[in-house]
Amino acid sequence: MFSQSPSCRYLLSSFYLRVPAFCTGCLSGEYCNYSFFLFGSYIWCVEDDTKEPDFNSTNPASWSHGYVAPEAHQGIVSSSTYIFDVLSAGMSRLQGPSSLKRKRPELNSPVQSLTEHERILYDVIRSKQDIGIWTRDMKKEAKLPDNVVNKSLKALQVKNLIKEVVNIQNKGRKHFMATEFEPSKEISGGAWYLEGSLDTEFIESLRQLCKRQIEKKGVATLEEVTDLINSYPAFNVDVTKQQIEEILRTLIWDNAIMEVKSNGMGEFASIPFGKVCYRYVSKGGLGGEPRAGALASIPCGVCPRISRCTPDGVISPKTCVYYQKWLDF
Amino acid sequence: MAQLHVRKNPTQPSSSVSHSLHSQKPKKQALTTAMVSQYGIKYAVHIITNHFGPLVAKVCDCLLKKGPLPLREIVRYTELSETLVRNCLLVLIQHNCLQPFLLEEEGGFGEVNKVSSLYMVLFDNVLHRVRFSKFMAIVSQEFNKLCVDLIETLLQHGRLSSEQIFDGFRDSSSSGGMEALQENIHKLVMARYVERCPISEPFLALPSEEEAAPARRRGAKSAKVFLEPETLEQRVLAAAVPPEGMRFSFELNPEIGADREKAENSSTGDKRKRDALESGTDGGFVDKQVVLWRVNCEEFTRRLRHKICIEIVRTRLDDEAATVFTAMLNASRSEEKKIKTASSVPLSENSIYAEVIKSEKGRNMTLDYVISVLVGLSSSPPFVRVVDNSYSIDYKHIIEVAQTDEVESIVYKKYGKDAYRMFRLLSKTGRFLETDKVSVTPHTLVGVGLDSLSTVGLANIGISDSIFVEKKETANILSKMWQGDYLQMEKLVAGPTQFLLWKVNMINLRERVLDDMFHASLNLSLRVAYELEQQKEILHLGVDGPMKEKYEKLKKVRFLLESSRMKLDDAIMIFHDF
Repeated sequence: MFSQSPSCRYLLSSFYLRVPAFCTGCLSGEYCNYSFFLFGSYIWCVEDDTKEPDFNSTNPASWSHGYVAPEAHQGIVSSSTYIFDVLSAGMSRLQGPSSLKRKRPELNSPVQSLTEHERILYDVIRSKQDIGIWTRDMKKEAKLPDNVVNKSLKALQVKNLIKEVVNIQNKGRKHFMATEFEPSKEISGGAWYLEGSLDTEFIESLRQLCKRQIEKKGVATLEEVTDLINSYPAFNVDVTKQQIEEILRTLIWDNAIMEVKSNGMGEFASIPFGKVCYRYVSKGGLGGEPRAGALASIPCGVCPRISRCTPDGVISPKTCVYYQKWLDF
Repeated sequence: MAQLHVRKNPTQPSSSVSHSLHSQKPKKQALTTAMVSQYGIKYAVHIITNHFGPLVAKVCDCLLKKGPLPLREIVRYTELSETLVRNCLLVLIQHNCLQPFLLEEEGGFGEVNKVSSLYMVLFDNVLHRVRFSKFMAIVSQEFNKLCVDLIETLLQHGRLSSEQIFDGFRDSSSSGGMEALQENIHKLVMARYVERCPISEPFLALPSEEEAAPARRRGAKSAKVFLEPETLEQRVLAAAVPPEGMRFSFELNPEIGADREKAENSSTGDKRKRDALESGTDGGFVDKQVVLWRVNCEEFTRRLRHKICIEIVRTRLDDEAATVFTAMLNASRSEEKKIKTASSVPLSENSIYAEVIKSEKGRNMTLDYVISVLVGLSSSPPFVRVVDNSYSIDYKHIIEVAQTDEVESIVYKKYGKDAYRMFRLLSKTGRFLETDKVSVTPHTLVGVGLDSLSTVGLANIGISDSIFVEKKETANILSKMWQGDYLQMEKLVAGPTQFLLWKVNMINLRERVLDDMFHASLNLSLRVAYELEQQKEILHLGVDGPMKEKYEKLKKVRFLLESSRMKLDDAIMIFHDF
């Protein structure tokens, strides 16, 4: 990651941007007291955020005068790359609503130069709008022989009139849609899916950001978290309240935050009485494991063979390999 | 609670007995004892084997598996001689692990009611035997060395008369004379750490018509109170316990020396009990002159529950909350009568504050600050309930939180992070959810408590959608948890499609986890024994040279095993005793 070419570094410097980001390396544990900078696709901590990084140096450590790179954060430089990648990937997708609008066919569109078979097929596909159609259904509906359909499909794809899309319900089936449509939620899987797969990186980055916001505030409402996420410089599009809510719910299942009702007192003073809000669970939680209970701390608690373990059997506490490992210090 | 007919003298039939002779349907006493799981029995028998050898353990095993039995049945099942069985029973009685009782049963068809003498193993008291060090630690924090010695003596001998205790300390330099000894016993009795032994053979009469009637018939309101039937064990224990005034009354006697000499000429309580058992007829009769004392495990269990609750509050909240919570426990302690109490008595802000400032940590807290801490304690998760400005500790909720934490941490360790999320989703929802498509999912965990769930739902979100895991992977993880008995699964067939529905059944799961805990405790104990054997071998060879390192390592291993067992025992208490 450090062996960037000078031109590449130049490019990075042009993307130089101060952003209220967080150190990915510290997410699982303590928080870093240093400031964080986003250089192109890198986020790392610097000691002094008032100085411009020196990108002309070949030593990455001096890209920022104050760059400290303590041992614990060395890894961040590489591991954090995904944050920006993911954010930008996610954001470009989230700009979606505008791209979801139907495109107007151009005047000299290739539609006019279609053969009769191609025209029939195109009309069938186009009539399905943002749902698209499976090739087998298409053949039935168009009542055309297989070879004609296959040939016409290719021609339509070349002419950029149709596109193949992944149907989340059945990934094995070839599914086509007119290019002017974007796959509906049923086909694409919704905002959390990218090309038919769960966009885990994007989801994870949003989860981390939400968690970080609630941690900073201690207690926050859904609206507050949504506003904070949307006010991020890197987020130039809106994430909906519903999306944030879905994210927050996963954080509840993670035991990273808990849902509570404001009683209007103490930490809830700024939140109206009775309003549902989210509180950070100070110990354990995201990234870290839940506190290991008494049974989970010993081999028997997680033993896959416990049902076959008997005092004098083949598997017994005297002969147990897990015990052997546990007690070998 | 069903009222018990405890007859002072079982040889004279009570009026309820003669009345029952005319009833048409023969009535049977419900012989339901609290269910002890497979490994619970194995673990208890293992403890008894370690402490009293295989013969006593055999009798204990027989009684735990078969439930309360008369002497002849025990002889039949164990295939031991009657004298041997009697002696084993005496050992168990002496160490408070067995309670004999007389049970009245209907003779049937005009015959006179039968009264049989049965023996019941007290499973809880067997488990308490591994907690003696914890009991001693509690006493050493609150009392002087002499009290600790007194408790130790009582724990060692099970039950002793005052005379026997005095005899034991006659030559002890720490006793400081008979007067000091009496005073310290008095202190321990007042603190309810020592109590009079229960009635040696309580009598359980047939329930009256009214008591035998099913609870439902008595109307909806009372049905709620009677929902949980008492187990036979609970009934026997309730019948055996001396009246509150007697149980904790210890009279200081300045002329104890003279009394003691007199007592020396008469038989001791132990001897008397032996005679009673041997005659087999008059077991319920206790000589009032000889009072037997024993350690009150119930009080110690309560104290241990307090300690565990304080730690839960400390880890979930902070030290200040723990200080205020401790003050609440102390303020309500004298009112506690049972172990499994759902909540404490309500306390006012002022009474809590008065208790807070008694402690060193609480002395610098203002009333306002204490109130703000109380607000924190009563917000989610609510450890304290507030009604009309009175605060009471919600023990039930605290224990449930601790149980849930324990189960979830096992799920995390055993099945991973995604499984942990799925498990939490299912357990918080509390009902069946489909693998990927469910019509309704919990939208909001409403209320200050998380236990009440509203189902204002988001349509079409299933387990995999809710936790952002690919559907295939979700199904995979769920079925692994199901195979491990952590989830319940139902197949729903709708035409050609089949849906799988999943649910966490917390009640069954708790029992299962408890059984695993007994198994794990047994394993730890067996491993300790194995390591001890090895240590003996090394000691035999001499601990010099290369053996020294091995010896040191074995010591560390034993320490880890023992401390793990003690921690696991805390968890067992959370699941079983509290």
